[in-house]
Amino acid sequence: MEKMEGSFAVEDMQNVQINIGAIVKEVEEWDQPMGPFPYPSIATLRDWDFKIMQRYKIMYSPICDRCTLCTYGPCDLTGDKRGACGIDQAAQQGRIVLIACLMGATAHCAHGRHLYHWCLEKFGDLPINMGDEILVDAPITRTIAGIKPKTLKDFGPVLSYFEEQVSQLLACTHTGQEGNYKDFESKALHASMLDHLGMEASDIIQMIAYDMPRGDENAPLVECGMGTLDKNKAILITYGHNLAASSEAMFYTEDNNLWDKVDIGGVCCTAHDNTRIGEGLGYPKEISEKYKDVGTKAKVAGAIGWWRKMVRGDVMDCVMVDEQCVWTDALAECSKLKVPIIATSEKIMLGLPDRTNDPVEEIVDDLVNFRMPGVAVLDPAKAGEVGVRTAIAVKPKRAAEREADPFLSEEDFKKYAESCTYCHACQFVCPPHIKIGDVVRAAAEGNYEPLSSTYEVCVGCRRCEQACPQDIPILSLYAYANKEYIRDHKFKMRAGRGPVKDTEIRRVGAPIVLGTIPGIIALVGCGNYPNGTKEAYDMAKEFVDRGFIVAASGCMAMDMSLYGDEEGKTIWEQYPGAVDGRNICNMGSCVANSHISGATIKIATIFAGRNERANFDDMADYTLSKIGACGVAWGAYSQKAASIATGCNRMGIPVVVQPHSVMYRRSYVGRTDKKEDWEIIDARDGSKVYCEPAPEHMLYIAETKEEAMLMMAKLCFRPSDNNQGRMIKLTHYCDISMKYFGCMPPDWHIYVRHASDLPLKWKEDMMKELETKHGWEIDWKRKAILSGPIRKMDVSFDPTNIERKIRVKK
Amino acid sequence: MAVDTTKNAVPFEMAQIPGPEMAKAYNTKVIGAILKKAKRPLLVVGAELFEDPVMFDKAIEIGKMGVPIAATAHTIKGFIERGYTENVHMIGLHPLTSYLRFKDWQGLDGEGHYDVVIFMGIFYKFASAMFSTLKNFNRDIKRVSIDRYYHVNADMTFGNLAFNPDQYHEAVDEVIAAMAK
Repeated sequence: MEKMEGSFAVEDMQNVQINIGAIVKEVEEWDQPMGPFPYPSIATLRDWDFKIMQRYKIMYSPICDRCTLCTYGPCDLTGDKRGACGIDQAAQQGRIVLIACLMGATAHCAHGRHLYHWCLEKFGDLPINMGDEILVDAPITRTIAGIKPKTLKDFGPVLSYFEEQVSQLLACTHTGQEGNYKDFESKALHASMLDHLGMEASDIIQMIAYDMPRGDENAPLVECGMGTLDKNKAILITYGHNLAASSEAMFYTEDNNLWDKVDIGGVCCTAHDNTRIGEGLGYPKEISEKYKDVGTKAKVAGAIGWWRKMVRGDVMDCVMVDEQCVWTDALAECSKLKVPIIATSEKIMLGLPDRTNDPVEEIVDDLVNFRMPGVAVLDPAKAGEVGVRTAIAVKPKRAAEREADPFLSEEDFKKYAESCTYCHACQFVCPPHIKIGDVVRAAAEGNYEPLSSTYEVCVGCRRCEQACPQDIPILSLYAYANKEYIRDHKFKMRAGRGPVKDTEIRRVGAPIVLGTIPGIIALVGCGNYPNGTKEAYDMAKEFVDRGFIVAASGCMAMDMSLYGDEEGKTIWEQYPGAVDGRNICNMGSCVANSHISGATIKIATIFAGRNERANFDDMADYTLSKIGACGVAWGAYSQKAASIATGCNRMGIPVVVQPHSVMYRRSYVGRTDKKEDWEIIDARDGSKVYCEPAPEHMLYIAETKEEAMLMMAKLCFRPSDNNQGRMIKLTHYCDISMKYFGCMPPDWHIYVRHASDLPLKWKEDMMKELETKHGWEIDWKRKAILSGPIRKMDVSFDPTNIERKIRVKK
Repeated sequence: MAVDTTKNAVPFEMAQIPGPEMAKAYNTKVIGAILKKAKRPLLVVGAELFEDPVMFDKAIEIGKMGVPIAATAHTIKGFIERGYTENVHMIGLHPLTSYLRFKDWQGLDGEGHYDVVIFMGIFYKFASAMFSTLKNFNRDIKRVSIDRYYHVNADMTFGNLAFNPDQYHEAVDEVIAAMAK
């Protein structure tokens, strides 16, 4: 049956409404049979979740011991107390975790929903063409929804499914609904799986509509850093995650040949997406003909942690905010420096007047003459024009304002620095514990070095200023003392490449599953680092150098761009950008994280020939048992980071987070002293066998980058690793430990199954230790292990956690 | 004169107000006496020791009194550099706390669970959250902080001494002296 379009008349009928649902094509072009779980509901994958939670014990760290959500409260839930509704501490924490994951998931999906409507309106329905090297496109959509989207409109039902699920899930958090912590967690895992679905839909929609790179390892190097913004031009900053309005600003600039008058710099993920526009396959024509490579003209001003530093550093003339990660005092911050702000999304209107229907000239005139500090313009095209024209026109006005009354003069700087009473109220609230009192006192004495050396450690939260009884604008002191730093802040970042190509999966699938590529490390997330942005670079460099596949995205990708080697080359210039060992790829913005989890599905389906269609637990089981991948969110701050990590966890990917991440309240931690937790099925015959704890944890909080790196290497072990892979992984695990800890890790031996697993450089010593310390039986003549390992070497071992994967039952 | 460790008992991150049950700040003699009385104490040290290396020596002093040490993050390196690894165990604070919350765990040496944990030199927010886990999910363990911060989720803690390193060092010395008595 062909799909029919058009209209028909029903004579003699009045007031009749006919609703026709989706017309399903009779001929199905996808030859994969439908899997067991199309469009899974809340409880569909509960068994899988409970398997994860059996092995990885839910650990809660309550930040608040009370519940204050209903009128019976506040209820004290400390210890074994229960609230008036009967809820206990664990369930309450699970509830908060679910709410956080829903916040994150809906942020991404609502972003996708907006793009869906906007792109259909602007470009019409477009075929999803990912190029010749990506035939397994939308792997998460295929796995969860069981459909293979062919055009943008096919994401409509996918987004509707998401919206229904989150509505049901949010309902579960009401008082008198769910009351068991494990079920809250299962729901959080469900919400977070949906987050990855929403992210994938969002990124594919924008990739197709704006002709972004589709798996391009040679995506262009773009300019990154505050210093790249040309002060001779007007500077328009686009801040947030949704490119709808910022792309229009770029198109307006291109159409009117204004690039010599305005620089457009992005903050947070809008920065990524600006720099991806027009760099794809040359489709759709509207983009490729008029705006080819226009993305390379935009600049990455910086990651979220730099936002307030940029404002105080006076690097911008006008700001357009869209959605997500926009600090809610943006208007107040910008107003102080006479930077007009344009809110472009219904999600963030900042109390500004809605001027969507007013003429552009009038809006610009009001902003340029400071009659109002900002406006809301909800039509992206109009907002883009307003942004560019305002930036250009306001620049000289701002210069005049600055001339008349400098935002911070040398005299002001001294006065403020000298007014510090060394009370340490600032240090009480500083997340990375900067000794701000010492820093300001040194500045008062004319020594700006501490203001410089701690500039990258400062996360720009402004809590210090609020705590200061003297009202010292500490961030402004930082900006004043770091003028040269800001001017020289010039780097290169590879534009987001988009998804992993099928050809890349064919190349790396076997080495990853066998372990000879030691792992995939995904460095994702925000800018709340415990010890400065440099750690983003250090971690990436350590693992690329070791031959891991390193994937980056979001603000962490931007922050690792700010450093270079001896020759000044950034990490993107030092290494190629393919999905391969000793490569580093920038996947793109926050929503491009879906390509990392999607890549694990692609390994299962392309390399191992598994059917992904509506088959989530199978894909997750394959990932958990065979794909040595580890996510790292070292600057994680947001609820989106919580849902991304939790979604990875449901997919079988462990994640390491930074110490501030205790604010997420929940982690998943394994117990190596419980042998029974590590029982696994051999799919060959269904026998249950014990395995080493691999991966040992599912969501791990590290105190320092050194600990994080050791754990990243460790969490890449998988039950399926062969001898060579095991040896390579052990080499890195032990080598990182020796390098940063000064000793071998205490548990290296549990990953050994055979003497050939032992790294050659330590083999002799290790065998001695196995014999003397751990009581293993060694045949020294043959240099063989006779007994001791948790599991012996077995090259055809086929680990699984799902009974239906058993091939021949005993 | 003994350092007054009961002063300035406000959470180091001021918004860290968990609920009705908040730590008491004790003087060094009382804390020392409690630690001395402990049957299975565990000293847990973190990476802030690297910022104040003298604290490694104080940890070793406590270790030499028979208190096993959990060296979290990469602090084992500091002990190796000082030639003291006798009863020092390398483990992350996160998995350690996870084990501590289970009553059937047999400890780092397999000899049984701990009755008192003593935190020192750990990133404040992280330590506070780990204390919170124990406070809510294993109340059999006494939670003691001899860190430079007032730790709201501990049972016993110093008040804030973060801005007076000399006083803080002296306070820890007093605890050690009280343990030795």
